[in-house]
Amino acid sequence: MKKTTYFLAALLGLSIQFASAQVKKGSVLIKNATVLTITEGVLENSDVLVQDGTIKKVGQNLSAPNGVTTVDATGKYLMPGIIDAHSHLGLDVINEATSPIVAEVRMKDVVNPYDVGIYRALAGGVTISHAMHGSANVIGGQNATLKHRWGSTDPADIIMQDAPRTIKFALGENPTRVHGRGNGIQPRTRMGVEAILRNGFNEAVQYKKSWDEYNSASSQKNSSALPPVHNERLQILSDILEGKIIIHCHSYRADEIYMLINVARDFDITKLVFQHTNEGFKVAPEIAKYTMGASVFADWWAYKFEVYYSTAYNAAILTENGAITSINSDDAELIRHLYHEAAKTQRYGGMTDEQALAMITINPAKQLGISDKVGSIEEGKQADLVIFEGHPLSSYAVPQMTFVDGVKYFDIKEDADDQRLKVSPTEMVEPVTIADDHNDRCMQDTEHLFETTNSLFLLNQ
Amino acid sequence: MKKKLLYAGVFCMLVTGFLSSSKAHAQSDPSGKKRITDTYAITNATVFTAPGEKGTKATVLIKNGVIQGVGSNITLPKEAKTIAGDSLFIYPAFIAGASDVGITKPKDPERPEDFVSSNPPDEIAGITPWRSAVDQFSIKDGKIDELRKTGFAIVQITPDGGMLAGKTAIVLLGNEHSTNLLMENTALAASFNGSRGMYPGTAVGVMAKFREVYDNAVLTSQRAQKYTTVTGLKRPEITPTYSAMQEVITSQIPVLFSASSELEIRRAISLQKEKGFKLILTNLVEYEGALDVVKSSGVGVLVKLEIPDDKALKAQKEDASDEAKLLYTRVKEAYDKALAQAGKLEEAGIPFAFTTVGVKSGDILKTLRKMIANGLSEKAALAALTTNAADILGINKVAGSIEKGKMANLILSADSLFAEDAQIKHMIVDGYLYDYETKTKKKASKEDKGEGSVKIEGNWDYTSESPAGSSGGVLTIKKDGADFTGTITYDDPSGSGMATATIQNVALDGSNLSFSFDVSANGMEITVDVSGEVSEGSYDATMTVGEFGSFPFKGTLNPTLTANK
Repeated sequence: MKKTTYFLAALLGLSIQFASAQVKKGSVLIKNATVLTITEGVLENSDVLVQDGTIKKVGQNLSAPNGVTTVDATGKYLMPGIIDAHSHLGLDVINEATSPIVAEVRMKDVVNPYDVGIYRALAGGVTISHAMHGSANVIGGQNATLKHRWGSTDPADIIMQDAPRTIKFALGENPTRVHGRGNGIQPRTRMGVEAILRNGFNEAVQYKKSWDEYNSASSQKNSSALPPVHNERLQILSDILEGKIIIHCHSYRADEIYMLINVARDFDITKLVFQHTNEGFKVAPEIAKYTMGASVFADWWAYKFEVYYSTAYNAAILTENGAITSINSDDAELIRHLYHEAAKTQRYGGMTDEQALAMITINPAKQLGISDKVGSIEEGKQADLVIFEGHPLSSYAVPQMTFVDGVKYFDIKEDADDQRLKVSPTEMVEPVTIADDHNDRCMQDTEHLFETTNSLFLLNQ
Repeated sequence: MKKKLLYAGVFCMLVTGFLSSSKAHAQSDPSGKKRITDTYAITNATVFTAPGEKGTKATVLIKNGVIQGVGSNITLPKEAKTIAGDSLFIYPAFIAGASDVGITKPKDPERPEDFVSSNPPDEIAGITPWRSAVDQFSIKDGKIDELRKTGFAIVQITPDGGMLAGKTAIVLLGNEHSTNLLMENTALAASFNGSRGMYPGTAVGVMAKFREVYDNAVLTSQRAQKYTTVTGLKRPEITPTYSAMQEVITSQIPVLFSASSELEIRRAISLQKEKGFKLILTNLVEYEGALDVVKSSGVGVLVKLEIPDDKALKAQKEDASDEAKLLYTRVKEAYDKALAQAGKLEEAGIPFAFTTVGVKSGDILKTLRKMIANGLSEKAALAALTTNAADILGINKVAGSIEKGKMANLILSADSLFAEDAQIKHMIVDGYLYDYETKTKKKASKEDKGEGSVKIEGNWDYTSESPAGSSGGVLTIKKDGADFTGTITYDDPSGSGMATATIQNVALDGSNLSFSFDVSANGMEITVDVSGEVSEGSYDATMTVGEFGSFPFKGTLNPTLTANK
């Protein structure tokens, strides 16, 4: 009896928790579209019925149940919501740049649902973005996977709560510049980066052991075991070793990519995705064999020394070698036309429509561990959908409506011009500009760490 | 020698307990400053005993810093000094839930030789929960009187520092010879402020570090407990940080978390839910969007006693494009919402008090009037300043209202408190009387001097006094149509040499000249307001430097340069 009440109480507690984190879910019937399912081919003149946020039925001549609105998409294309595997939208802080390992920090702590970039991404058909920690650290913070439920004010409501945990790693120039040259600590070189990784994981093994020993000893009667010091950083590394977290690693050069593959193999880590992966084409078979693939830019490079050996064929080469490949933005402007970025793989590498679109839908979904829920138009999946005027891989494609969980968050015809949710009472009105220059937000707020380096550089001039 | 001992004795008494009267001064009074009596009676005044109460004619008798009685049939003892209160309005004095008044930032500790930015010592990284605001507080600070002048008698002082700055304390803004300490270790001041160039450097790092410090404080206390009962154990490592966190993890004292925006409020509450400590939110500036979580979490709330400046609104141009006009409409909406926010807090039924950290004392009464004009009830405003604050600080037995037995902290105002021209004539704090000059409205013209006789155009040599020392420069005023324009030179705070700023809002009202200018120092824009009287080529004024205080400003019109046209 007692046990059942306890169980009930626990169940009730759980359901209350779920209720408080409940997000809006919608129902809609989209009629007569050319449905690009990604995983099940192209369906001409087809309907998609969404109920309570889930794709209920894909077929022809479907009729709307009572109270469900119908959207006529005759002559238009319907595709799954675009997923960006590398973004920094919706974050108040990007870099905790102060230590080579900051695995303990959580981007979920600093999610900002008021970032108007989220709405602009919706206008580009993007329904999910991977809000990553920056690349200043060898092991950065834990990322957040966001669902673009624009208008939500509680950060918890735009976090995809059912997505697995992911974490940011970074190799090469960024961490060596911040820590080695900026602060005079390890790592100063790519060798140092590897040492940080190996030492970190080895310490995590020891840490885990000390807690396991304590936990088993303290369950004994009259135990005199003392609890070890808590170290969230090592706890997270230990979770990585246990396969509970997917690594997303900022990387450019083939040698460093191959280095991390070897480190991962030594520590039995299989949940690993490479980000940027500029020289991925040189180690494509290895990436395909040992990792969850690579997320790359279509054709953006040469912004620093390690990003010079580049090719627009990178995504195609990776794909043809069997690596799961996605195209990402890492940028608030680029995220608005990821469908164009994907189309570039057709010009450079001759990818099919399906291959190209997979790079911004099902493939990033796989890399984020959410491909069972989103990334394609299949019955039972979450109803994240975009209606396009023109084929999404055409230069003339324009997104018309974007849905997340069956709720329409973007409508090119109906939405008001000013979509900001909040305006500061002390904000000066500035002339409106359409797009900013590209900012490498990966290194935002770390500028002061380069002061020493910069002054040395100027001395040598 | 004897005197020294006596002082030491008195000091100890004050530190350990509540203040008693100054009877311990058995010595004669060579300075002549000792007061004749500590018994006062304010007779026949309009007394508002608590928020929401109507004003009634009554006499208030105080003695030993305690209210002895309020009413119409009070027998006044012989030693009572009588203040005729016929034209006075008496209110319970204000209590600030948090304040930085009298607080001086402690010197940054020196970095050790083996300093590593990724793992700095707690003290350097802003983790100093063992520090006390009491050690940073001086009752002799010039800002104390400025805050007292606006009606405050009790404040919870918060230490200056980083993410875990230290413990707060509740003090009186009272006599200079007392410690004025009411309660020590009342809360732990926390913020999302990272340390520059070291770990944790940002809000996201601070949240991770907060969890770590908290969890390890819990574990350390477990180890320490075991160590006292079991022999043969490894000595638990006791650090100042963990020791100072004990009162927090056992919920003896709350965390006073500075959270100015809706998102910061949500972050602080999420940490509180995760760890289970007692929480008071402070420094709330933009909070309307978080009212539901604030209410459901039941945490204490201290709103920043400030309203946003209207510079952005005033910058609107007549000939703006239609698009810009639409954008201005949204700024205006946001501004109006910001003014109405305090009223919304009242509407939601959330009891709140105010913090004056970072607030200019001179603006406080104006701010309150603005809040009241935009939806906050006078009752709720007074409650926020008195009873609610006393509740949140846990001192409602001794402060917050005018009743027998409570501390003698009173506002004696020349008009009803929130009226447009209300001026505070006297303050009584801890039974001590403070007199303030009240200004009667300027008469239209001074008898013998016509408007034109006050000449202000030309170059003024000025000097100003501040804690940083004496400085000066040249103030140039020109007539521009009906208005005045000009410039001022001053010592550049960012280095050597002089800087020049344009003066704004130059106004000559009778013989009163006022103007303001902006100074940028350490990346901060500070507005300096100067106001004072001009008479025959000399200018005797007060300069208010942002929230840093008010200082004397004297100028002389230089006759040789007036031909500069």
